[in-house]
Amino acid sequence: MKKSTMLVGLAASAALALSACSGNATGSSQASAGPGGPAADGGTVQVLANAAFSHLDPARGFDGGVNNFYRLIYRTLTTQGAAPGAEGTKIVPDLATTTGTPSDGGKTWTFTLKDKLFFETGAPITSADVKWGVSRAWDPELGIGSPYAKQIIAAPASYQGPYKSGDLSTIETPDAKTIVFHLKKPYADFGSVVAQNTFVPVPKGQGAGNSLDSKPIASGPYKISEYKPGATLKLVRNDKWDKSSDAVRAAKPDGFQWTFGLDPATIDERMIAGQGTDADAIAGTVQAATVARIQTPQLKQRTMSGLGGCTTYMGLNTTKKPLNDLKVRQAIEYAVNKQTVRDAVGGSTLADIATSIQPPTVAGRVDYDLYPSTDHKGDLDKARALLTEAGYQGGFTLTLDSRTQPKMQAMAVAIQQALEPLKITVKINPIDTSTYYEVIGTPSQQKDMAITGWCPDWPSGATFLPPLFDGRNITAKGNSNLSQLNDKGVNAKIDEIANLTDVTAANKAYGELDKQIMALAPVVPLLYEKVLMLVGSNIAGAYLHDGFSGGIDLVSVGLADAGK
Amino acid sequence: MTATPALLEVEEVGTPAPAGGPPTSTRRILTTITKDKGALACVLFIVIVVLMAVAAPLITKLSGWGPYQFDSAAINSDLGGVPHGSLGGISGNHWFGVEPQNGRDLFARIVYGARVSITISLSATLLTGVLGVVLGMLAGFYRGWVDTVISRLMDFLMAFPALIFMIAILSSLPAGNRPVLLVVVISAFGWPYLARVIRGQTMTLANREFVEAARASGAKDVQVVFREILPNLRGSIIVMTTLAIPGYIGTEAGLSFLGVGVSPPTASWGQMISSSVSWYSVDPMFFVIPGTFLFLTVLSLTVLGDKIRSVVDQGEAA
Repeated sequence: MKKSTMLVGLAASAALALSACSGNATGSSQASAGPGGPAADGGTVQVLANAAFSHLDPARGFDGGVNNFYRLIYRTLTTQGAAPGAEGTKIVPDLATTTGTPSDGGKTWTFTLKDKLFFETGAPITSADVKWGVSRAWDPELGIGSPYAKQIIAAPASYQGPYKSGDLSTIETPDAKTIVFHLKKPYADFGSVVAQNTFVPVPKGQGAGNSLDSKPIASGPYKISEYKPGATLKLVRNDKWDKSSDAVRAAKPDGFQWTFGLDPATIDERMIAGQGTDADAIAGTVQAATVARIQTPQLKQRTMSGLGGCTTYMGLNTTKKPLNDLKVRQAIEYAVNKQTVRDAVGGSTLADIATSIQPPTVAGRVDYDLYPSTDHKGDLDKARALLTEAGYQGGFTLTLDSRTQPKMQAMAVAIQQALEPLKITVKINPIDTSTYYEVIGTPSQQKDMAITGWCPDWPSGATFLPPLFDGRNITAKGNSNLSQLNDKGVNAKIDEIANLTDVTAANKAYGELDKQIMALAPVVPLLYEKVLMLVGSNIAGAYLHDGFSGGIDLVSVGLADAGK
Repeated sequence: MTATPALLEVEEVGTPAPAGGPPTSTRRILTTITKDKGALACVLFIVIVVLMAVAAPLITKLSGWGPYQFDSAAINSDLGGVPHGSLGGISGNHWFGVEPQNGRDLFARIVYGARVSITISLSATLLTGVLGVVLGMLAGFYRGWVDTVISRLMDFLMAFPALIFMIAILSSLPAGNRPVLLVVVISAFGWPYLARVIRGQTMTLANREFVEAARASGAKDVQVVFREILPNLRGSIIVMTTLAIPGYIGTEAGLSFLGVGVSPPTASWGQMISSSVSWYSVDPMFFVIPGTFLFLTVLSLTVLGDKIRSVVDQGEAA
């Protein structure tokens, strides 16, 4: 998916202590009072947030935060499970009765819709509405979110969405309950693709332009009652949603209330105090400075932590001298002191040290370290030896693109310090946060190195390694292959795995490909950032969901006592 | 940082136009200050800060830690990077403790931060001094259209929301040589406060007998301005610039605090205070140390400037 925003929390299976049964997590080890206890029906869950949602239009929004939120108001053909750990990343049917039936060797996929599905308007959800929603992804103005529909489903090259080009012939709707997708080539994991936001149904003929960004048409358990962009968002129950048609969403509370634009330090103070409606509140990951303050038993009980499911890495631009030399890149792999990088983002409670490209939440991932050093503090002797071999013992200068944001600056300075003993001078190039991805995604503007993150769109190597390392995907704008690695062996392996029909075998092969890529040292995996959240004392049914950058699964969370 | 204009405006009103008498001698300023304990303490502290700035590399060699050197052992990674030990990790190893999250030595960063503060404020004072004196004298001496142009420019700059403009311009400029940019931007908005006073005094001086005498004996404009008028402005210039330095130190720290000052990893007091804000409850020393240094430096310079002013005023009144 997307680059991780890194401001917001990421990650996952906090609730290690929770012995959850599917649906609502129940019975945590810490009596019923903890955030994992059973949620009651009713009440309003408060959400305190710093950044507002990027888009409410499902064809446009695409990051861990909105994906989680979309499940409250939208439904897709399939979706991720609602449970901690691996259960949460398993694809389960949602609008469809199954996770899809392939035919024609995996090139054609058929889904049948369930009964009793309605929009908030009361109109039934038909296969034509699903098709209308999907075909919006081809609209050049709307289709800026999940790219998978466009990449995988066959379509005429000139197709520009239903508003401009009309009907898309490669998606068939033989009757109101059946939808058939024709793909460009066989795709074994298409059942996961239809869980993407672009597969949200939109009533046929509606949703042009910005209309869905201000007034979404809900198909899920909640609808929007009030929305002030950048300030507040209020959800109330969508009474047309039929619980019997939905095995995933517990949807216990009567509503949700978001407050945006709060200072992160203010959020932490409010969560620690937990006064008034803040007892019913959830928020993102705490600040590093707050970690030491939430060590009391009372606050610890309200704390949840787990992996964010993303990898923070530093891309080494292989087209620039001297980074085009494999030995130089390997020397940097050895030299980076990942301990100091981790301390820069808040220490061991806020991040784990990364050694492989894929984070532990990805299926088939192998744990290995090609460039080991004591306590991950960097092996300067090995690095020096490699630089001498490459003829760069005298040092050189590199430019590191960084965001003008304290955490990113701190990481950049840590890298600068780590490379200094090798006589590598790192110049930090601060770029405004709003234009950062645009700059580093434009090969003509990007410099030698850049720190960024990547989260899988669903926890499989297919959404991690090919977008970042397929040399044929290097584009003049919006490029995600930061290292600009174009290696024949890697490209061939990517094609080979894409042709596998068995998803488990493919995931395993991606684990091996991860190693193969790291041998070429195009990126330095730095951290798997964690989420560390403080929730209100009245919050129940909460667990961190592996599939949503480790955010609290919104469709399962609720209040312990709805009457409070 | 808004103190700059406000402070100087007050001074301007308070500085009486020279009514006669001999120009204040530097020696008399020195003797008065050495007799005043408060002023002496201020001088002492300023000397310490300046010495720190000048000898920063030597001092950090002595203390053993450079300003950019990380010390992972001094912080607790499990608690978000809080320094080990009480009072922000103050120990024989780290005299002022360490910065949370990376363990950089605070003493070294204070010493190097003094460099930034002193360099930028002195450069800005020098630049505003030259601009203010030259333009102020031109306006006051020539009057007419020269005065109109310069005075309108001064009015424009003084009425301008300087702080907002500084933030806007510094954040939109590419990351070039930050300290130079800071000096230029601070000076661009700072010189009118000095120039206005100089202009007024030049106007009165230009009508005095000794100026007329110089003219009558055939002195050119340049000679009159630099030989006759400038020496008589010395007292005001000393007072105004001494009082401007703390203002510029504050402005630099303020701009760094707002994230548009010198870029990391360069140590700066304002930046240290800015990053200490989120740590105030778990590591208050991280805020107290740079805050104290900034406070004392600005206070010392202000008190000293005030003393000099009263000496100059007495001299002029005599």
